Amino acid sequence: MQGSDRFAAFRSPVGRMVPLVAMGLIWQAVSATKLIDPSFLPSPLRIGHAMVDLLTGREICDNLFVTLARAAIGLALGSAAGVWLGLMMARSPKFRAYAAPIVGGTYSLPKSALIPLFILWFGIGTATTVCAVFLSCLLPMVVNTFQGVASTPRVLVWGAQALGARPREMLWQVFLPHALPDILTGLRVALGFSFVLAISSEMIASTNGIGKLIFMYGENGAYDYMFAAIACVVVVAFVIDRLLLLLTQKCLRWHESATERGPA
Amino acid sequence: MEREPSKRALQIRSVISVLVIVVLWETAARAGLASPLFLPAFTAVMAEWWTVCADGSLPADLLTSLFRAFAGLFAATLIGVGLGIAMARSRLVHWIFDPVIALAFPSPKIAFLPIFILWFGIYSTSKILLVAFACVFPIVIGTYAAASAINRVWIWSAYSLGTSNLTLLFRIVLPAAWPRIFAALRVALPVSLITTFTAEMVGGGGGMGAALMYSQRFFESPTVFAYILTMLVVGLLLDAIMLRIQTAFPAWHSNA
Amino acid sequence: MRAVTDEKAIVPKIQIQAVSKSYPGDKNPVLALRTVDLSINEGEFVSIVGPSGCGKSTLLYVLGGFLEADGKVLVDGKAIQGPGTDRGVVFQEYALFPWLTVRNNILYGLERGALAPEERARIADRLIGVIGLKGFEDRYPRELSGGMKQRVAIARTLACDPAILLLDEPFGALDAQTREVMQDELLRIWLETRKTVLMITHDVNEAVYLSNRICVMSARPGQIVEEFKIDLDRTIPRERLFTSDAFNKTRNEVWISVRQQALAAEKLNARV
Ligand SMILES: Nc1ncnc2c1ncn2[C@@H]1O[C@H](COP(=O)(O)OP(=O)(O)OP(=O)(O)O)[C@@H](O)[C@H]1O
Ligand SMILES: [Mg+2]
Repeated sequence: MQGSDRFAAFRSPVGRMVPLVAMGLIWQAVSATKLIDPSFLPSPLRIGHAMVDLLTGREICDNLFVTLARAAIGLALGSAAGVWLGLMMARSPKFRAYAAPIVGGTYSLPKSALIPLFILWFGIGTATTVCAVFLSCLLPMVVNTFQGVASTPRVLVWGAQALGARPREMLWQVFLPHALPDILTGLRVALGFSFVLAISSEMIASTNGIGKLIFMYGENGAYDYMFAAIACVVVVAFVIDRLLLLLTQKCLRWHESATERGPA
Repeated sequence: MEREPSKRALQIRSVISVLVIVVLWETAARAGLASPLFLPAFTAVMAEWWTVCADGSLPADLLTSLFRAFAGLFAATLIGVGLGIAMARSRLVHWIFDPVIALAFPSPKIAFLPIFILWFGIYSTSKILLVAFACVFPIVIGTYAAASAINRVWIWSAYSLGTSNLTLLFRIVLPAAWPRIFAALRVALPVSLITTFTAEMVGGGGGMGAALMYSQRFFESPTVFAYILTMLVVGLLLDAIMLRIQTAFPAWHSNA
Repeated sequence: MRAVTDEKAIVPKIQIQAVSKSYPGDKNPVLALRTVDLSINEGEFVSIVGPSGCGKSTLLYVLGGFLEADGKVLVDGKAIQGPGTDRGVVFQEYALFPWLTVRNNILYGLERGALAPEERARIADRLIGVIGLKGFEDRYPRELSGGMKQRVAIARTLACDPAILLLDEPFGALDAQTREVMQDELLRIWLETRKTVLMITHDVNEAVYLSNRICVMSARPGQIVEEFKIDLDRTIPRERLFTSDAFNKTRNEVWISVRQQALAAEKLNARV
């Protein structure tokens, strides 16, 4: 950490914004020279205008809400089912033997491949999106929960037993707390998947949602609006991810790596 | 006090569980529990798989998709590893790129697809670049973490032995960081596949995803299933290969 | 009637009869314990010493009811049915719950009892004082040193007031000074409550200072090869005891016995 004070100003929240702002300025300058067709690369100012326009209207809020609701439902169902399955697999060798090939087989399947299947089954709309999100969130949760529960040191289990914990209590008092760091890691992965799958399946098979909206702007040639909508997605995904990271840090104050989780 | 069943018994159960699914699927389809449009029989799917393999359409689509995925992954590896190491070795580079990466890492890259189509058309270029864009972030973050975790005593002792910067990179930094970089590549590989397939499904332009959507639009359910099963097997195989390479690493890599 | 009470008086608190335990190994199973016999009377303090890896912890796990083994383990004349609150255990690895604070770790076992919350809090506070961790009540285990963790583990077990204490190298991670303080504290508690104690240790001085009886175990597969009865006056202070001839004579006898086993273990390892 030698010479760290030299860079202290750069690492402040404002200092970290400087490169982003600089990139925006360069982009604006390039656009101003008209070297690139502005319809292909709208200038930041035009995108900003479109953004203000979008945010004051209802279109983006409504569609974003639809997408987030679908992603949230799929994520909630997928996480709950995933934690349960992972727990069962870790606690019952028999169940694990039956479930392992299915989990292992579907884990590396690109989940969006199932979207056409869901369209066949459920048609176009919310059910298809929720199913795709559900499946994509399920597997990271299963795998991480399994790892967390299965790696519980035996002395922790024994310690609880010797202090009188009943088998029913072990779940909430030993296995789940021990698996919590892994479950939260899985949740962060699942959160990322839920956005990707919600937007992909909306682009493929939906009449509304932010994925459809972005695609429609693109097809109609409203590129500044398209860029603005994408920017909204980036910001929303970033904020939700940060919130989850904060929650994780709060839940894991006891954990060894409380301060070194996740990318900077 | 639990008794683990023997390894053999576990393997038998795994086989049973796959067989049960296939048999249930086949009987459900044959008994007409679901219309063949929703659930074609397993045997029908296999027959269709054989047909599309024999007429060369599935292998061609698969090759197109794999080419796009690997080309994108390759570009992402070059850029990601280079940038990750540069960020670990230089505070300035880190300062410039860290905010962009922090902002872009959690975002669903597929949302950028219309931009890539706008700039690069609907064929391979746009797909490869989108894959590279989607894969580069996990690789940069993994490489950065790996390169900054290198025991600095190694670097100091290398310098004191008169190593030049370039030798340092190839003889110390890369070998030491390689296992964790590879772990990041293993994360990025499925990302490259899913991005390719999804981009093809949304934007067309050939490949597995486009063929899948085409069959779905014409309600050729056996073809849909045949393509999905192929994607599943390809995903499994590639991950198994990556795992094989990863576990083949020598044991010195624990340098934390 | 009389006969019954008499019989009750002579039934040992703990009886370990012909206990053998093997772990599944890579090729062939590893025999950790071979026909171990040991009985401990109520109120007795027994220490087990022996070379590393000889199966001391394994014996303790069997007695705790965590591992199944061949042979019989009786407590109060009855075969044990898995773990129970009658046997308090301090593990070599502390086994603190990392997600609970010091106070909540100590309260964990108490919460299952019939005590009122104020009473539990009182017990926890007293124990925190005894182990010298006042001011650390709300810290998590990761913020404690190894010695502090071990003290919390001991307090957690003592809080439930078990009739039997099973201690696996309870002072192993402590510095020399804290170790002496904790030894004196354990001795005080034992003299006061006369609990039945089985302690595993590598420290011969500690074993002689605290126990009524010391069992020396052989290299793997572990067996009890020698027993020493210790008859020292527990009421005289540490300095006088440690410098007394009686203490040193016993200590040397035990030390030589343990050393023989350790050398045998080394030979065994060299051969493998
Ligand atoms: N779960 C296990 N699986 C296989 N072998 C084991 C297992 N646990 C212990 N062993 C083996 O059994 C033997 C006895 O182990 P144990 O932990 O009881 O030794 P110990 O006397 O407590 O040693 P130490 O003094 O180092 O704590 C060791 O040789 C160990 O290698
Ligand atoms: Mg031990």
